[in-house]
Amino acid sequence: MNLNSLKINLNLIIWIISSLVVSAFIYRLLFFSSNSTLFFIVNDFIVFLLLVVLILFLIKSLGKKNPHPSALVLNIGIISAFVFLVMMFAENLLNIQIKNISSNLVHKGILENLLHTFYGLMYLGIAGYFFAAYKELYFYKQQNRKSTYFTIMSVFIALSALSNLFFNAEEYQFIYNTFFIISIILIVFNSIKISWIAFISKKEKISLLILSIIISALFILNLINNGKADFNGTVLMTFSPAIYQLFNLVLIYGAVYFLVLFFTTLFHIPTAEAYDRKANEVSSLQFFSKLITQVLDIEELAETITDITTKVSSADAAWIIVNENGDNKILSNKNIALVDADLINQYLLKSGICEKITETKICTLQKFENKSQLSEKFSSLAISPLRAYNEVKGYLIAARKNELIFYEEDKTAINTFSDYASIAIENSLLLEQSIEKERLEKELDVAREIQKKILPSKDPKFENLSVSSVFIPAFEVGGDYYDYFEIAKNKFAFIIADVSGKGISAAFIMAEVKGIFSSLSRMLESPKEILIKANEILQQTLNKKNFVSALYGIIDFDKEIIRFSRAGHCPAILVRDNSVEMFKPSGIGLGLTNNILFSNHLEEIKIDFKENDTIVFYTDGITEAKNKEFEDFGEQRFSEILIEHSNKSVNQIANEVIKDVTLFSRNHSQYDDITLVIFKWHKKNNIDGVKEWQSSTPQLKNKVL
Amino acid sequence: MAEFNTSIKEQGAVSIINLKGYLDAHTAPILENNFVELIDKKCFQIVVDFKELAYISSAGLGVFMAYIEKIRESNGDIKLSGMNDKVYNIFDLLGFPLLYEIFKSETEAVQKFTEK
Repeated sequence: MNLNSLKINLNLIIWIISSLVVSAFIYRLLFFSSNSTLFFIVNDFIVFLLLVVLILFLIKSLGKKNPHPSALVLNIGIISAFVFLVMMFAENLLNIQIKNISSNLVHKGILENLLHTFYGLMYLGIAGYFFAAYKELYFYKQQNRKSTYFTIMSVFIALSALSNLFFNAEEYQFIYNTFFIISIILIVFNSIKISWIAFISKKEKISLLILSIIISALFILNLINNGKADFNGTVLMTFSPAIYQLFNLVLIYGAVYFLVLFFTTLFHIPTAEAYDRKANEVSSLQFFSKLITQVLDIEELAETITDITTKVSSADAAWIIVNENGDNKILSNKNIALVDADLINQYLLKSGICEKITETKICTLQKFENKSQLSEKFSSLAISPLRAYNEVKGYLIAARKNELIFYEEDKTAINTFSDYASIAIENSLLLEQSIEKERLEKELDVAREIQKKILPSKDPKFENLSVSSVFIPAFEVGGDYYDYFEIAKNKFAFIIADVSGKGISAAFIMAEVKGIFSSLSRMLESPKEILIKANEILQQTLNKKNFVSALYGIIDFDKEIIRFSRAGHCPAILVRDNSVEMFKPSGIGLGLTNNILFSNHLEEIKIDFKENDTIVFYTDGITEAKNKEFEDFGEQRFSEILIEHSNKSVNQIANEVIKDVTLFSRNHSQYDDITLVIFKWHKKNNIDGVKEWQSSTPQLKNKVL
Repeated sequence: MAEFNTSIKEQGAVSIINLKGYLDAHTAPILENNFVELIDKKCFQIVVDFKELAYISSAGLGVFMAYIEKIRESNGDIKLSGMNDKVYNIFDLLGFPLLYEIFKSETEAVQKFTEK
């Protein structure tokens, strides 16, 4: 029979109980004087049925409330104390009362019977409650809720109780004895299984220790007072021999159970603290793992970490140091003054205690020479490394004061916790980085947009000169700039420049440079003068760290010449008759130096155009393009390609150069902008050439590979 | 990724900064910190040795410009030494040899300071 499997409507049970109680009273009043066996059998049947239903009811209502075992134990204790008092004084009270009242009555037996019935029913109720409470305690925190043992015990208790009714005679004593002994063995066996004791706190254990020994003693006393010859025994025997026997067994169970509980608790006391600590750790970890997903702010996270560290490690104070660009700073501190934490940090970092630690390290502050400067007497530290990207980014330090020091066994908890903390910090940093990355990407988008607007939208067309340009921006926006200016009817100016730096700052300088050159190109007609003027302006406006390399040239169609000056920019390459010539006139980058030095060293050169002369201007994005071995594309390779394809049109040459550079650096990301501007001189009015660039120019401009 | 680090040593009154690896926009702040440190310590005679430097970008060049004025005002100088051809070409293109004294070796650069 599984007691749990019986599902009975509570209202119905109350009805059944009430009717059974009433019927027990009526039955006993009607047949009070009967001495036949049948009377006892019917009487005990009613009473036993009442008991079973009552127990089921109590079990169900107790199970619903799910009381704490300590509360149950206390209840049992109170009731057993009550039973003890009743047993002490019932005889005198009842007998005196009966004598007093019954002297006025005809049937004094009726009253006696009534009182005895009441008395018996009270014990029945108590026995029922005890039994239900035992069951609840037995199953509390039981890993595998196997009810077999308890059910068997219940059955034998019932059999033992009933055997007291039927086999009371001498010749059947052995049956009664057998059931009785088996019941007691089962009681002892079941009492040993007290699993819930491990789950209560130390404080509760201590009170339980006292309570259990008192209750056990009360049960033993009650058992002694319930002998067959005693008043209680006699009353209960006349009420129902089965209930008498059952009550005794319930008392025995109680006595044994609470005695066992006493000893179990006693043995658990020394480990109670460890259990408490573990429970604390577990709850902190749970609390923390929830926070990992919630905290977006690194500082808030650090606060939480130090707060929980003090709880997990029962430390007096905790703080976090992080290393940022070589500086150690305190991210958060709990229960310790910043000054104190700073002093201890300096000691730790100087003494090398923190070096190369891979897990929590316990150390004392005995050797700390500035100990007296601390406002509080910290004595012992537990230092845990905080790792992010497999690198120690900082330390989590817990400190205890005075005589309290950290022991090796404290390490595990702090270590586990600092691992969690590391992960949380790493997550937080990653998040911060991804936000920063997004911001940077937005910034780069702006920079690219600016650069796109600054650069010419198309290459110009001339009768004697074909022009082709290619611009390939780098991811980070490298600062390349080129432009064309139509300065006079027969003159055409151009600039190619590279602004130092990257991103949005480079884009802004580019915009400034464009402004300077588009206005200067209208005012002055000498590349040298223009660059000197530009240097003067940029020297004033640019940040000291920034500079611009530039090459400014003017092509005179009438004179058939090109004049240019170079301010720190890549040389110009002239391809003529299947050979190349580098033109690198002297010149310092714009914004690097004062105007005197700049103009003193700035050269301007002039080249007379010959038929089919190809002149190439570029930025270092081409020559410094790298392959996976980190080799440069270089001027040599560049020149070779230019010679090889010198007979082709400007667009074809540009295409070949870009193709080669791309192939060369295919396994390496493009780090810098690439700009290539190619001019080809056709003195004779080459109709084919004109056609050629007219038809192919559009798809080459601003080509992004 | 490209790595960069520096080391500083003292040789008499001259401080020598040794560069190693790739000096670009991302690693330039390391060198900047070195200069700030030396200027704070009033060490204005500085030799920057490029022997172990593999690459320098325009942002790397900018670092030298940022502090040269202040150092020269304090009667000091930054002298450069030990560049490989590739690094020298970059400096040369921008006209740096006109702005800085560049030496073959660290010793020559230090000697130049002590001669004065």
